[in-house]
Amino acid sequence: MTLTETPLAASPPSRTPNGRKPQRRRSRGNRDAWLLMLPALVPVVLFSVYPLAQGILLGFTDAKAGLDVATNFNGVDNYTKLLGNELFWNSFRIGLVWAFGVTILQFLASLGLALLLNLDLRFRWIARTLALVPWAMPPVVIAIMWRLMLNPTYGPINEGLRAVGLPGDINWLGDFSTALPAVIVVGVWAGMPQTTITLLAGLQNVPTDLHEAAAIDGAGVWQRFWHVTLPALRPIIIAITTLDLIWNFNSFALVYVLTAGGPGGQTMLPMLFAYNEAFRYGNFGYAAAMGNVMVVVIAIFLFVYLRGQARSRLS
Amino acid sequence: MTTATTMSPRSRRIARPLQYLALLGYVIFLGFPLLFLVLTAFKTPQELISPNPSFLPTNPNFDNFVQAIDKANLIHAAGNSLLVAVSTTVIVTLISLPAAYALARFKTKLRGVATGWILLSQVFPFILIIIPLFLVLKQIGLVDSLLGLILVYTVWSLPFALWMLQGYIAGIPVELEEAGAMDGASRIRILRVIILPLLAPGLVATSLFTFISGWNEFFFALVLIQDPALQTLPLTLARFVGAEGQVQLGQLAAASLLATIPSLVFFAIIQRRLTSGLLSGAVKG
Amino acid sequence: MNKRSIFAAGGLVVAVSVALGGCAFGGGGGTEQESDGPVEITFQSLAYQDSTIAATQEIVDSWNKDNPDITVKLTQGSWDNVHDQLVTQFQGGTAPDVIHDESSDILGFADQGYLADLTPYISDDVKSAVSDDVWETVTSGDKIVAAPTLLQTYVVYANTDAFAAAGVEVPTGDELTWDNLAKISKQLTTGGNFGVGWGLKQPTAAIMNTALGYDGTFFDGEGADAKITVGENELAVPEHIHAMAYDDGSLDPVSLTQSGSDVLPGFLGGKYAMYIGGNFLAQQITESAPEGFNWTVLPPLAGSAGPVQAANPQTMSVAAESKHIEQSAKFIDYFMGAENQAKLAQGDWLIPASSAARDEVANQTKDINGWAELLKTGEDLSGAPFQKATNYPQWKDQYATPGLQQYFSNSITLDELKKQLTDGWASIG
Repeated sequence: MTLTETPLAASPPSRTPNGRKPQRRRSRGNRDAWLLMLPALVPVVLFSVYPLAQGILLGFTDAKAGLDVATNFNGVDNYTKLLGNELFWNSFRIGLVWAFGVTILQFLASLGLALLLNLDLRFRWIARTLALVPWAMPPVVIAIMWRLMLNPTYGPINEGLRAVGLPGDINWLGDFSTALPAVIVVGVWAGMPQTTITLLAGLQNVPTDLHEAAAIDGAGVWQRFWHVTLPALRPIIIAITTLDLIWNFNSFALVYVLTAGGPGGQTMLPMLFAYNEAFRYGNFGYAAAMGNVMVVVIAIFLFVYLRGQARSRLS
Repeated sequence: MTTATTMSPRSRRIARPLQYLALLGYVIFLGFPLLFLVLTAFKTPQELISPNPSFLPTNPNFDNFVQAIDKANLIHAAGNSLLVAVSTTVIVTLISLPAAYALARFKTKLRGVATGWILLSQVFPFILIIIPLFLVLKQIGLVDSLLGLILVYTVWSLPFALWMLQGYIAGIPVELEEAGAMDGASRIRILRVIILPLLAPGLVATSLFTFISGWNEFFFALVLIQDPALQTLPLTLARFVGAEGQVQLGQLAAASLLATIPSLVFFAIIQRRLTSGLLSGAVKG
Repeated sequence: MNKRSIFAAGGLVVAVSVALGGCAFGGGGGTEQESDGPVEITFQSLAYQDSTIAATQEIVDSWNKDNPDITVKLTQGSWDNVHDQLVTQFQGGTAPDVIHDESSDILGFADQGYLADLTPYISDDVKSAVSDDVWETVTSGDKIVAAPTLLQTYVVYANTDAFAAAGVEVPTGDELTWDNLAKISKQLTTGGNFGVGWGLKQPTAAIMNTALGYDGTFFDGEGADAKITVGENELAVPEHIHAMAYDDGSLDPVSLTQSGSDVLPGFLGGKYAMYIGGNFLAQQITESAPEGFNWTVLPPLAGSAGPVQAANPQTMSVAAESKHIEQSAKFIDYFMGAENQAKLAQGDWLIPASSAARDEVANQTKDINGWAELLKTGEDLSGAPFQKATNYPQWKDQYATPGLQQYFSNSITLDELKKQLTDGWASIG
């Protein structure tokens, strides 16, 4: 989803050829713009920009919970401590596995569904409606629903397995080796709507004449998909996967209610880890430092990814 | 639509059943969990813990719903959520409309900054914001209050609302406004008579998005709302789940369903718009 | 906006942030006490069983009737997130006046200065009714920061019909040794059913408590100086559990990954002849047991040091920043009265810390199945060092719980567990 580039001029058409009026118009336009944006700017600066700046700074202090505890700057102490914090890097790794796992699987699944919905199949309206359902459910409810589904004793998944003779008492969310994959599946389920809809809209925007031309040239279904559809979808794919990746990496509610980071930290996403550090153990400065590290890593990744995409698009 | 017409009849015969199969697979994957939730909500506690439960409830009744509402104080929590979500939507719409107009129509440097902030605010993890935000709210005495939560939600929903609205406004040709101006109409009148009607679908979509995200939001509420009387619905549900006390699965399912109904209704209403109109507004270029 | 103004704006924001950030992040200084006129104090109770909620409401109502000047407003909290809630509320200055928690959790907040000193307000009656050992568990430094209300112990519930069917005698007496437990458990494991089911999804509290039976104290010293030693005594109980699950096959390994309330239906359904859990579970057993289900409570589990378990009482404290410390403390004193404690104890099937209340309970429950045995398990309780170790909650979350969970799912060895526990404590310090 690219932002629009307004090709239209900001100021109303000038009436004099010498340009004086437009200039006055433009500066009045500027002032107008500021006035219009002011009601939005004030709360943003107060409750978004300022806290963000302070949050970043907090990462360089030893702010802790406690009555009348003073906060002091401690330079890069937090970061040296973080470097050696195995649990943090572990959660970071889990966060990356989760983010990439969910984003990629979600993309593939959504692409498949979008392609199907783009066909002339009957009953596709059922699928299209259902594709939206996860979007309509609060993450908390999604987590509860899947906890019921994955319940080792009463859940339908294990019952289904038992019914066909397979071992059916795995505690999906409680077993060390199955917890993260299970949670990833739920993440995919929860994230399918926006990706599917976006891809579907993109597919519908692919000009049919391109397809017909390719078909006439003798290209098979697969070749047409690869050489016509995908390239046309490319900007949308890049946009939605980038967004998905960021959203998923920063995800909190779903996993918090599913497993709270357990068992034994196997699904401890970085956000959960930082939350615990701040609001369970009261180490606010340390938690802010974690936030800073997370941002830097995401920023670096984004920069590299997008630059790579831009380059290859130009080539 | 496109692929089918350009496939040979023979390959279509093979492909068709496979496509229907795939579609069925998706339908099951997407729909079964919800179906299970609904069924569980109607089963009695005995049924749920019996070693051989049947798929369909044998004695469907609303007991679970009644008890869930009673025990978990759901109505109260829903009321809180409603208050917060509606207030947020109203405030966001009021302040983002002029700002979005400015962003779409005026070519100021601020636009770059605003765009940058919109993107950036998506990237920053909540954890960085929440701690100092807490401090700010504490200084103005709004911690553990719904008003504080509304303020936070407003600021948090603003980027997306701005982005969407700006896209919609940009989609309305500026010539319409210019034509109105040449006809002698004032700017206000132009906005009201020309822009607003055209913007209506986009406005509705944006408002709905804002409402839903306020209704579903969890993290900020988790940190900022500690008073049990002020809990929003997602919080009440999440705490329903925990408790070493025996969790009544049926009641939990019933409560979850009740919490989802408003969102489901909204999405049913705008479902058509979502797949067509909405996206054309946001996905430009 | 040109570059310069962006820098200027940015600089301004930073400057303001620094200025404000330099102030104390925590709360302000002492809070003014309002003492004249009618006051309202908030009391957050964590009771969740219907009977206990009713009992609490009764106590509050009778107080409000007798004390029109001090109105207590009762709110409902939850055990699951009381810790996180208190962290945020203390930080934000919005904590309730009267706080219901448990000793191992509340002492950490006492260290941070968030609790009021109750020593001057506790009446002599209340003071003498509770043993010194238990008062130790709510004392920080030399200040009493909480009143101990109800105690929990880990007990073994037994399905007497299953015992009869397997021809095993139901143990009686003063204690039940772990070895004995393992023995009868093996005898009861027949026909697809297990001798024992134990929901140890959250294992740390149970292990820390029962380890005292072998003198396994884990920690030496108090506060920030606490040091850890994980030796034979500390590992005795985990070893027993592991042996029963994987060597004897008498303890269901799947139950070890589930929570207590998830395992209960198995006990009620006959899958487990014995079920180990907190004594408060007796309430649920009584409520949800099917017709004709016969059960009892076995003697307290004992190791080489006897049937000792850690005393981790539920507590009632007053927030240091409360504006009505004296009134809140008065209410707590009333709450600690024998009759009131007896009501609560029966509602929750927990053991009162106050001996006067215990006598009341024994009197009132003479004819109720299970109570006498339950009360016996509460006689040998003493404080444990882990309750006073700063950073215990973090160590518990990040190292002890995962370590024990892995050990109980047979993924790591006993030595690896020991290493994880010891190294974990070192890395937190």
